Amino acid sequence: MTRRTSFVLLVWLALVLAAVGQILRTPFTADLSAFLPANPDAKQRVLIEQMQSGLPARTLLIGIEGGSSQERAQASRALAARMRASTLFEQVHNGEIDAWSQVGAFLVEHRYVLSPGIEAQRFTVPGLRDAIGETLSLLGTPAGIAIKPLLERDPTGETMRIGEALLPTSAPRSEHGVWVSRQAGRALLVAVSQAPGADLDAQKAAIAQVRQSFAGAAPQGLALLISGAPVFGVDSRAQIEREVHWLAMAGTALMSGLLLLAFASLWAVALALLPVATGVLAGIVAVSLVFGSVHGITLGFGTTLIGEAVDYAIYFLIQARAGGAAHWLRTGWPTVRLGLLTSICGFAALMFSGFPGLAQLGVFSVAGLLGAALFTRLVMPELMPHGARGTGLRQPLGRLAAWAVGWMPRLRWPLLALGAASALLLVQRADLWSAQLSSLSPISKHALELDASLRADLSAGDARTLVVVQGEDLQAVLRNAEAAAAKLDALAERGAIGGYDSVARWLPSLAVQQQRQTSLPEADALRRALHEATRGLPVAAARLGPFLADVEQARQRAPVNVETLRGAGLSPILDAMLLQRKDGSWASLLPLQPMHDKIDAAAVRAALQGLPDAQFIEIGAELARLHHRYLEQAQGQALVGALGVVLLIAATLRSTRRVLAVCQPLLLSVLLTMGLLALLDVPLGILHLVGMLLVVAVGSNYALFFDMMQRDAAAGRPADHDTLASLLLASLTTMLSFGLIAMSSIPALSAIGRVVALGSFLALVLSAALAPRPRAAAG
Amino acid sequence: MLPDQRLHAVLLALCLTWPAPALALDLGTVTSQLALRKSGEARFTEQRFVSGLDAPLNASGTLSFAAPDRFARVTTEPRAESMEVQGNTLILKRGGRSRQMTLDALPEVTALIEALRGTLTGNAQTLERHFKIRVQGNPAHWTLTMVPRDERLATQVRELKITGMAGDLRVVELWLAGGDRSVMSIDPPLADK
Repeated sequence: MTRRTSFVLLVWLALVLAAVGQILRTPFTADLSAFLPANPDAKQRVLIEQMQSGLPARTLLIGIEGGSSQERAQASRALAARMRASTLFEQVHNGEIDAWSQVGAFLVEHRYVLSPGIEAQRFTVPGLRDAIGETLSLLGTPAGIAIKPLLERDPTGETMRIGEALLPTSAPRSEHGVWVSRQAGRALLVAVSQAPGADLDAQKAAIAQVRQSFAGAAPQGLALLISGAPVFGVDSRAQIEREVHWLAMAGTALMSGLLLLAFASLWAVALALLPVATGVLAGIVAVSLVFGSVHGITLGFGTTLIGEAVDYAIYFLIQARAGGAAHWLRTGWPTVRLGLLTSICGFAALMFSGFPGLAQLGVFSVAGLLGAALFTRLVMPELMPHGARGTGLRQPLGRLAAWAVGWMPRLRWPLLALGAASALLLVQRADLWSAQLSSLSPISKHALELDASLRADLSAGDARTLVVVQGEDLQAVLRNAEAAAAKLDALAERGAIGGYDSVARWLPSLAVQQQRQTSLPEADALRRALHEATRGLPVAAARLGPFLADVEQARQRAPVNVETLRGAGLSPILDAMLLQRKDGSWASLLPLQPMHDKIDAAAVRAALQGLPDAQFIEIGAELARLHHRYLEQAQGQALVGALGVVLLIAATLRSTRRVLAVCQPLLLSVLLTMGLLALLDVPLGILHLVGMLLVVAVGSNYALFFDMMQRDAAAGRPADHDTLASLLLASLTTMLSFGLIAMSSIPALSAIGRVVALGSFLALVLSAALAPRPRAAAG
Repeated sequence: MLPDQRLHAVLLALCLTWPAPALALDLGTVTSQLALRKSGEARFTEQRFVSGLDAPLNASGTLSFAAPDRFARVTTEPRAESMEVQGNTLILKRGGRSRQMTLDALPEVTALIEALRGTLTGNAQTLERHFKIRVQGNPAHWTLTMVPRDERLATQVRELKITGMAGDLRVVELWLAGGDRSVMSIDPPLADK
């Protein structure tokens, strides 16, 4: 081993160690929010906050099935009790009415700043008479039972007024004292975990706690169903982990087998895998350094790098045999380098994507390919200066390749005709790019159906349609919430919406609280008005002394603030509807309830027109809009990437005819791949687009290879069987590695895999079929 | 009229014209008379006796229903208020405000509403599900005494007594657990709309 070799190896080893060190410190994520924009507008920001840490990200939906309705109700109570005792959950609801006594005390105590009925007019003689009349109209009915004990303290019915606004418009069905499904024999619970939604380990523990509590609480024959964002997050992560392991192992085994066939030498196989390993390490480290974390899908996608990077090794090991490493560096390396640059050009377009998920794929691929190519260029010649010795099956492979290359041009016209047909088909398909953002998600259809069914059972709490108000401080956001609420009240009154929730019902802005407080009359004035107002009513003013005392006390009382609410055990309400951002600004969510399952979105938008700090958000529609914008942006980037590839080829070849010859098969292979997908009615999405870009990047290598062969042939140096064998091997590895991820159960990966496996095969066939005849090239 | 309804009507006519039998009246007989009427509207007056108040509380308004699941109680005196039920939706209007709620989320309210809606539409099955019922009188003049099956409701409402004449509801009396009581008298007849 020469000193130069030792030096190169030492440097490489040091880099590998440093990379491993960095990777060990890198957190791995699996949530879909990586596929949301990095610089969101106000609406998207709320969306992302909700998906990452909002209430929905912490909410578990639980169902109990089997047995009788009594058994299910009993199991629901037992499960809820155990979960409440576990401290892992901030809230556990199953329809039992128990937590309201504390809330009731808070509402009664602060009713004169919380009730929307408080205004100066209410304490005039006609105002009092009207309010007391309303309270009396409930007495003697079942609805009056709860308010009768409060009559002396609250004859104007303020507690009732507050409670009335807090009643949910839609709620789950109640049976045997707990929530049940309207459709199926199923008891329902909703739990909100303490830990943030992004902490998947804590979410996993919370889910395990539910299962464990259920196992200890439920009799035989009852089954537990769990759904919600935390379950999706935890399951997706586990699934991605499994898949990535499986793909990496299968990919390595497959490549090793193929290389063993080709080289019949374990040493050569081990060597060929080194650039791959180096590339994967480089990719992960680059992503970790740029983004701070690595997404599972990036890793899964990374396994395809095995197929790309192993090609460099194959080219070197085979082509260096003829004239040694020095010769290869002069003849073979420039083609590999051009192929590398075109690939990087394609991926670089992704790096500038506004969506961290895609940018990760870009950074990973660029760094990975660079790492693998640099290893091949700098380290391989030191380790195996004369290429791989064994021949394995390369002779038959080479003969097969030579025969195929000779035969392919017969397919020229049929393929061109197919390409034209494909183009025609694509022009007619306006709905081609219609895949939804959810198509990126690895969540199974079955799991999504269970989730939808539990959500439908619970009717409310899905928080998918809401108004968001923003403000620079807490008071501003509360005032904005009150302004929006005034508009929403009008909408609810005419049935455009069923109702809404607002934190300002629990925590009115200081302005509103002070306004209500100042409208409370002095004791003497109130006493006189009350005396007059109760004349002729069946309740005498003399009985209402406690009312006078409470109003007098309310005039002096400090306003309700965040601490008052937290002290009364109402933190869950605050946390669900009010959030402070890192920059100190505040936002509040006002979830809307439907009227007969419908929300008149146009009416809500129109009503909020004059309020610049309030936005109406439909999460489903917003996600669709986001994906659409994302797709448009990515389409632009893909075009720029493809243009970069073409420019790079043009700059190297410096011949319009040769550039056209190289680009023709690329264009046709993309056309045919898209045509086939359209024929199969596959809705195309962002990842198919990424796949197309890869087809261009990978296919350009083949096309360039054929261009090089034609030039060599023209110069009297026809390609030998070994060179053809290396091309066939390289394309086989690519197709196999993408074919593997095409079989993945993660839709994001299988979409890319299918497009690239098919497209790169077509690119190879088309490059061979459309390659100019050597004689024509010579002329 | 559907064939089986016609049969019902014939049977009922036979029952009514037959010399009064000494058989015990059953719920089905009462509700099948009521079920003949598919919709109706009538005035009501209500008196509520509440302990601690100096005088009974009076109210009046209209009751209306339409089979199978619409029911409304509109109070006009002393204040405009209404309670309207359609299927599983309950809409309350008081003091110019309105609230919409899901009925089956509130089992106690459901039972009370079914007592009236179920009686008006002649739905024996629904009545039996929510109440233990004692039937007294004869088809021409009957009384249903109903005790809630729901435990929580039973702690609030002791008993409901509905008195009617043939296919008409005449008096609804309600005893609350605390001793308060309301009596609603319905003007005859519940005229077909």
